[in-house]
Amino acid sequence: MKNARQFGTLIGLAVLCAILWILTPYFLTVSNLLNVAEQTSINAIVAVGMTFVILSGGIDLSVGSIVALSGVVLGASLKSDQPMLVGVIVASLVGLACGLGNGALVSWGGLPPFIVTLGTMSIARGAALLFTEGRPVSGFDAGFRALATGRAGFIPAPVIVMLLVYLAAHFVLSRTTFGRYVYAIGGNEEATRLSGVAIRFHKTMIYGVSGLMSAVAAIILTARLNSAQPIAGMMYELDAIAATVIGGTSLMGGEGSLGGTLVGALIMGVLRNGLNLLGVSSFLQQIVIGGVIVVAVLLDTILKRRNRSI
Amino acid sequence: MKNALALILIAAASVSCNREAPADTRNSKPTVALVLKTLNHPFFVDMRRGAQEAADRLGVNLQVQAAEREIDVEKQMQIVENLIQTGIQALAITPSGSREIVSALVKARDAKVPIIVVDTRVDEKAAADAGVHTETFVGSDNYEGGKLAGDYLLKVSGGKARVGILEGIPGHETGDSRLRGFRDAVKATPGVSIVASQPANWERDQGFNVFQNMLQAHPDIDSVFACSDLMALGAIEAIAAAGRTGKIRVIGFDALDDAKKAIGEGSMAASVAQFPSEMGRVAVESAVKVIRGETVPAQIKVRLELVTKENLQ
Amino acid sequence: MTAATDTPVLEMRGVRKTFPGVVALDGVDLTLHAGDVHMLLGENGAGKSTLMKILSGAYRKDDGDIRIDGRPVAIDSPRDALALGIRIIYQELNLIPHLSVAENIFLGELPSHRLGLVDWRGLYDRASRLMADLGLDAASIDPRTPVGRLGMAQRQMVEIARALRSSDARILVMDEPTSSLTSREVTQLFLLIERLTARGVSIVYITHRLDEVFRIGKRVTVLRDGRHITTRRLSEVDVPELVRLMANRDLSEQFPKVRTARGRELLRVEHVSRGTALSDVSLSVHAGEVVGVAGLVGAGRTELARVIAGADRCEHGRLIVDGRDVRLRAPADAIAHGIGLLPEDRKAEGLVPGLTVARNVALPHGRRLARLGVLPRRCEVALAGPIAEELRVKATATQPVRLLSGGNQQKVVLGKWLAGDVRLFIFDEPTRGIDVGAKVEIYNLMNRLTARGAGILMISSELPELLGMSDRILVMHRGRIQAEFDAADATEERVLTAALGLAPALDRTE
Repeated sequence: MKNARQFGTLIGLAVLCAILWILTPYFLTVSNLLNVAEQTSINAIVAVGMTFVILSGGIDLSVGSIVALSGVVLGASLKSDQPMLVGVIVASLVGLACGLGNGALVSWGGLPPFIVTLGTMSIARGAALLFTEGRPVSGFDAGFRALATGRAGFIPAPVIVMLLVYLAAHFVLSRTTFGRYVYAIGGNEEATRLSGVAIRFHKTMIYGVSGLMSAVAAIILTARLNSAQPIAGMMYELDAIAATVIGGTSLMGGEGSLGGTLVGALIMGVLRNGLNLLGVSSFLQQIVIGGVIVVAVLLDTILKRRNRSI
Repeated sequence: MKNALALILIAAASVSCNREAPADTRNSKPTVALVLKTLNHPFFVDMRRGAQEAADRLGVNLQVQAAEREIDVEKQMQIVENLIQTGIQALAITPSGSREIVSALVKARDAKVPIIVVDTRVDEKAAADAGVHTETFVGSDNYEGGKLAGDYLLKVSGGKARVGILEGIPGHETGDSRLRGFRDAVKATPGVSIVASQPANWERDQGFNVFQNMLQAHPDIDSVFACSDLMALGAIEAIAAAGRTGKIRVIGFDALDDAKKAIGEGSMAASVAQFPSEMGRVAVESAVKVIRGETVPAQIKVRLELVTKENLQ
Repeated sequence: MTAATDTPVLEMRGVRKTFPGVVALDGVDLTLHAGDVHMLLGENGAGKSTLMKILSGAYRKDDGDIRIDGRPVAIDSPRDALALGIRIIYQELNLIPHLSVAENIFLGELPSHRLGLVDWRGLYDRASRLMADLGLDAASIDPRTPVGRLGMAQRQMVEIARALRSSDARILVMDEPTSSLTSREVTQLFLLIERLTARGVSIVYITHRLDEVFRIGKRVTVLRDGRHITTRRLSEVDVPELVRLMANRDLSEQFPKVRTARGRELLRVEHVSRGTALSDVSLSVHAGEVVGVAGLVGAGRTELARVIAGADRCEHGRLIVDGRDVRLRAPADAIAHGIGLLPEDRKAEGLVPGLTVARNVALPHGRRLARLGVLPRRCEVALAGPIAEELRVKATATQPVRLLSGGNQQKVVLGKWLAGDVRLFIFDEPTRGIDVGAKVEIYNLMNRLTARGAGILMISSELPELLGMSDRILVMHRGRIQAEFDAADATEERVLTAALGLAPALDRTE
């Protein structure tokens, strides 16, 4: 569903890469690009869930905390000698449950998503800290760590997982009734309701997807760090929202695509990587990335105002 | 298209200001990377200073980078991965996660970049499992430091005290060692009991809050040992807020300037001084030696000293 | 008695205003004399609000001129109007409930001390004095009370005080001021109006309540279809004549009604009530028939539509579809029973603007089209294509609906139901905002639907449309069915009279 706006984002990414290629010879090497892809993968996966939620007209601030909680549950499971698959499933269920909880409060409770997920953000974080008494759970076996260190050919495993997640999510969003309803609810919730769609059920499911995606990201993160930290995932919600918005999804809901989100996540990953390569201080990096987000949202708003014919 | 233009402008603007010289392997000056936990802390600022002086003296390029917060292991990992891309000759690092950083060090090993560990140890078992070899460890013996603090407490309290402890980030080897040293020093003395021990994550405002809560729960605390000065300074403010300045002994770690001032004023009893600028200097010197193919010892201990009102200069 | 040759305080001549596709005002005149209460009458959509919005600066006229005291003036913004002494009080009061009476009155010009702090004492004093001055019962309204705690009549007083807070207010426009007042409160309001006119304020008064017209009015202007019909002294007319003037029109529009034999009963509504909006409503719709629903704004027609469509729940009463008692808890239930709603506000409730034509049409049918949740390729286009063609929607199936014209958008909304198994349609203002050509197409579609055995409940504010296309007409007034006519017996006057609440209420024991 690429339109001019999202094509523009892709061009932005290309231009950014071109600039970095000019400024430093280390950027456009195969190993560095794979680096960027790997570093981007975690945020990109979380951003999938965020895209679903924002498309439906909501927001999810709790993704980072759900990453932490799923991660520590996974860590505990792995440490107690359960097979890897069990840990992965349990972590996914934890993430899914948190997401469904968010969704239920938004749909049936009628509470604003901002508030609900703000609360969950705190609760999940606290739960993670409580569960581990503040200490990280570390040291997992090589089989599990292969989820981060493994390669298929020369492509790192996290990148493969990211691509698989995007393919699956894209399929759902573009080819299933569920996906249609995500856009419809975000585009005009009342009209969708009057068309007979079970709004509350679907909204709950949408937040469940976001929670699940956070859990998947947690699995990769835990493998990459070889450690499940209760303090992991801080500020992930901002990065996920940034990737989604830079990628062309409107914060009002109803417009956007996963392809755009992927490009948005890559833009941020490339930006961070490039600034590191150029030796720019990390404080300035914060400013630059924040600036890019503001500019992207500003452009989005301006373009929307011009396109208004309804 | 406007999106792209905006990105160009922002990227160009940010790049043109505040740039450190990027690593440049085209001339003969080798580049050493120093990756710190954070630059928000005077300790690491000192370390960087010492390292920079050594680098200038020895004629090497020094690339210093850090994440914003000490707890951000993931960020530190990304920095390491990215710096390796720029062809550094050696990596000196103060790990934000003793076990977590190993994954990034594996990449350093693969790129044949020698690793010098500074101030906080890398977890040996994790490193061995991953096949990562580090050239040397430069740092204080944090265990000894903890013990110094504990011995001092025994001395000034006459063997009777009720102690609250502020720990660092759990899982950080530095904090864990200091804690162990302190506890071992006091455990034989029955009159000294540790009534509470909680992490304040090396941060000053957390030191304030956590100690304030500790005081609420245990009003009979008369001494506090904080594994770092920032947390100790936070505790001092909590003590002031409770109106008990001077009645509770505070022992810190790092001997920061602010801490020394507090010792002079009497609100703090003592602090274990580290010499981070020496660590920085030695780290760079060792890195240069390794680059030149010389051998270095497996660990280099940097001295520690207990600073009290008496020996304050 | 002032000399009759005084220049009128306000003259609007030849005022024209068009919106895309619609001529709202076609050369309208209005003359207001000093100290008069001038009644402005007309049906829904006659142009009264548009004219007043032009006077108050909310809209800009396309043509015509306005004179105040004989001098031509330009009113390009609300500020211009305010500067000329024109004040307008809308039907929906613009008060801030959490602020006090005094703050509301002097909003934007609160008196302050030198340091910029609000002079509360001065504020309350001024408010009390103003209200006393206007003859408002200052004793019963404490200027410190938050407006939210006042009753409707008192709020009206506050709004009036606000409009008249500066002594240079000369022309006051009141839009349906008594719609929420009890008769006692109305009397109070009229006393106030008399006091105001005695002081030289001139009033334009818009209302549907013909009894009020004669109580305080001096002159009356009737508008119809954006045209000025007549201006008369109220001493020279009576109620029936006014009704005739409001309703009478040249039936130049075509209504291609095709009558179909009436089939079985599709829907029966029995004694349905919902809050204050609907009281004891009963009706029935049969296959092949079009039942028109007339009424003024606020009569409860849309509320009725929403209850039948499952969008709102009825608190009392029964709904019987195809002979079976049904509970409609959500729109999906109504749809499952073959009921389809074309909402009054198709943009806000009928379509998802960002989706394509095909996806909008297919939206209610997702479950049916999908296999295990997955939609087969192009199934929506396959579904919507033939329907869009049949309806002659001038757009491709993959265009986003927000780019379509009003008429085409309405067809898409209709298409949603044609794609499924809907037998009972509820059309709420189906041709509002649609050009004449498209209207005829919609009427023809209605014929096709009824010929196929569907039943249609059509809510409309356009009397000709109702009279032209309905088999029966129900008239609602304040939440009840006031009257029912067969098409043959219905005339515009009869319908309008019932809609105004003037006809005796129906005794419908069936």
